[in-house]
Amino acid sequence: MAPRPVGPPADGRVAEPRGARAVGHCPHCGAAVEGPTDLFCCNGCEMAASIIRGAGLERYYGERTEFAPRPEVTGGGDWSSVAITSDERGLVEAHLVVDGLRCASCVWVTEKVLERTPGVEAATISYATGRATLRWDPRRVDLAALARRIAALGYHPRPLGEERAPDRGLMLRLGVAGFAAMNIMLAAASLYAGWWGSMDPRYAALFRWTNLVLATPVALWCAEPFFAGAWNGLRHRVLHMDLPIALGVAILYGQGLLATLAGQDGYLDSLAMLVALLLLGRVLESRGRHRTTEAAAALAGAVPATARRLGGLARGPAGTEGRAVEYQVVPVGELRPGDRIDIGAGEELAADGLVVEGSGQVRMALVTGEAAPVLVAPGDRVVAGTLLADGALTVQVEAVGRETVVQRMAAQLKAAQDRGMAPSAADRIAPWFTAMTLLIASLTFAYWWQARGSEVAVTRMVAVLVVACPCALALAQPLAAAAGLGAAARRGLLLRSADALLRLGQADRIALDKTGTVTAGALVVIHASDADLRIAAGLERYSSHPIARAITTEAVRRGIPLPQATEIREIPGEGISGRVDDDRWELRSAGPGQVALCRTGAPETGPTAMIGLGDASRGDAPATVARLEDLGLSVTLLTGDHRDVARAIGREAGITEVVARHDPAAKARWIAETRDAGHRVVFVGDGLNDGPALAEADIGIAMAEGAASSLLVADGIISRRSLAPVVAGIHASRAAARMIRSSQHRALVYNALAVTAAAAGLVNPLVAAVLMPLSSGLVIWNAARVEGLVAGEGSWTL
Amino acid sequence: MDAIVFLLPIALGLGGVFAWLFLVAVRDGQFDDLDDPPERILHDQD
Repeated sequence: MAPRPVGPPADGRVAEPRGARAVGHCPHCGAAVEGPTDLFCCNGCEMAASIIRGAGLERYYGERTEFAPRPEVTGGGDWSSVAITSDERGLVEAHLVVDGLRCASCVWVTEKVLERTPGVEAATISYATGRATLRWDPRRVDLAALARRIAALGYHPRPLGEERAPDRGLMLRLGVAGFAAMNIMLAAASLYAGWWGSMDPRYAALFRWTNLVLATPVALWCAEPFFAGAWNGLRHRVLHMDLPIALGVAILYGQGLLATLAGQDGYLDSLAMLVALLLLGRVLESRGRHRTTEAAAALAGAVPATARRLGGLARGPAGTEGRAVEYQVVPVGELRPGDRIDIGAGEELAADGLVVEGSGQVRMALVTGEAAPVLVAPGDRVVAGTLLADGALTVQVEAVGRETVVQRMAAQLKAAQDRGMAPSAADRIAPWFTAMTLLIASLTFAYWWQARGSEVAVTRMVAVLVVACPCALALAQPLAAAAGLGAAARRGLLLRSADALLRLGQADRIALDKTGTVTAGALVVIHASDADLRIAAGLERYSSHPIARAITTEAVRRGIPLPQATEIREIPGEGISGRVDDDRWELRSAGPGQVALCRTGAPETGPTAMIGLGDASRGDAPATVARLEDLGLSVTLLTGDHRDVARAIGREAGITEVVARHDPAAKARWIAETRDAGHRVVFVGDGLNDGPALAEADIGIAMAEGAASSLLVADGIISRRSLAPVVAGIHASRAAARMIRSSQHRALVYNALAVTAAAAGLVNPLVAAVLMPLSSGLVIWNAARVEGLVAGEGSWTL
Repeated sequence: MDAIVFLLPIALGLGGVFAWLFLVAVRDGQFDDLDDPPERILHDQD
């Protein structure tokens, strides 16, 4: 649907169930609302709008290209453990991530609201990553207050996970190498021109020494990453591509140094050019990788929690006895088994434990993958990291920190992942390549030594080693893979490494988890009539319960104006009642997956309608499944759910093979068996319960909304609420693989020809200076074609 | 032809100034994020 943010919808699709009733629109989120004027649809929108007006930013409503999200009332979260740095003026700075930013205007309004908050010095938010940098005066405002302000606008602030600063060292080295390479050509071209005329030896010496001066920092400083890589490989007894490169750079520089001292031309110009090109490849590669690690770090930033511990003694002044208090807010780390903690609606559980008092509905999606909240009562066990949707609980702590179910599962996954590190394809040919080069070099030396003497033999051998420098070969994979990773990332699939990208394209089977992957993973209304939905939405309009969210969201989606309800009473865990259209209505839960809407009071009472709630398949799932099958992958729905539910979802999505009733361990076993049968398996999942399967599959892909720990073990992350990026990723993978093969073949043919020519004595510095960049240029051109190949596969992805 | 003795260092020096400016820009963090500034310019009016 085209964005239509200002004013009421013009296409007349708004449902008007009871004749002509005046309809307005929520000025903040655009939802239809009954009433003659534009009333706010909910408390959240009214609050957000008042913050924006209070900051004098009304201009936002005229400029935005999308309606604002409907703010959701969420728990406060704890911000005390976010790393804060302070400067000499007493200002402090911290980074966090803001989710849910939809357009550039969202970024703008959030930044401005923060900047106009008293005490805030500066606020910048990255549109691409949602990473926010805040600087404020801690004496006037605190981080929790700023986070609440962001949340009130409808966006979701989160602490940032572990992150690394972008690698500027590589860029600095590229700058120096690029400068040297371009200027060295100036001197080298003059020298080569001198071969055909006469050049005064004084000038020739000047140019040669210029070359040496420019090439020295390139060889000694810019090329350092290659030396470090080669040395690291040797120490771990792995020969990888850095070794022949380091060898080539050392020989090029050594030969150039000796030649300059002896008054002859060397290969220093080729050296500078090669190092600059190789560094360019490295920079592109690390940028692609950095984007993925940054996204994963942002997503995996688990909320650090404090807990309200009941009883105990408050800390008194030094040396005095504390006084007894009702409860104490303590960091989670201080909780011990046996402690009792209080949890309120909207808060996350800080520890595993037994419910001893109270009741409420807990969202267990993190652990079980089930979207619907579960009602817990005294005697039930609850797990850390889950969210209490409503009610209030007192929990007796049984396990904290690393002992909790969630943490134990995450640790197992991490261990499983660390075991499976494989060398990349380019590195596998490196030992063979190095051995071959050294062998040919020594044969060349032996032959010319006995034919023409040692001086000629040394020159020819050096020429062989110089042209054998596998620059093009080393560039082939990183450049094409970086282009492939970029193409996939632009289409919503962030992959962790070039290797993951290449493996993805080789897969022949794909297993999809049900909840949260093929389905949206959130509670949605499956069936309800427009009239029932209207009444229910009126009752639930100001509630923040997941069922209320599902009902009002569906009403807004269908364009049903939200009616005004009065005399609202909400009973946690049971239901809600109120007056709509002069009748009393009650909405109460009626077994799993449905709520009943009854008219209460005179003249008659009784269930009038059922509203079905559940999990529906994503809109683009059938199209994606069909595309995957076109690409030659067989698609399987792999789920822990009942056979009938799984079959129904499978039918909706067009998946014929359904494997139901598999718990997390059985899922991983199914994948292992399929792999043993010779298949390459992709698994797409979201929850913590999918972790073992993600780790077991050849390629594990996690949905970005999923559990943090599943993001840590996955090879790739889908950053959109859609399955389509998997298809784009397979296209990108196959395009990159094709270009890598083509580049490697060309580079090997080039190397074979060049080495033969060098062994025959046909290569001099000028020939090398022309040939070597030419072969690298072909590789770069091949890499540039990847994006075009992926785009050519059709722009159907969202 | 002797002018080359002066011109070559001058040319390298000028090139060096630009290389140095590039290094300053990298150290300054100007190449850390290449995606946001193009978005930002559309909105920074006040």
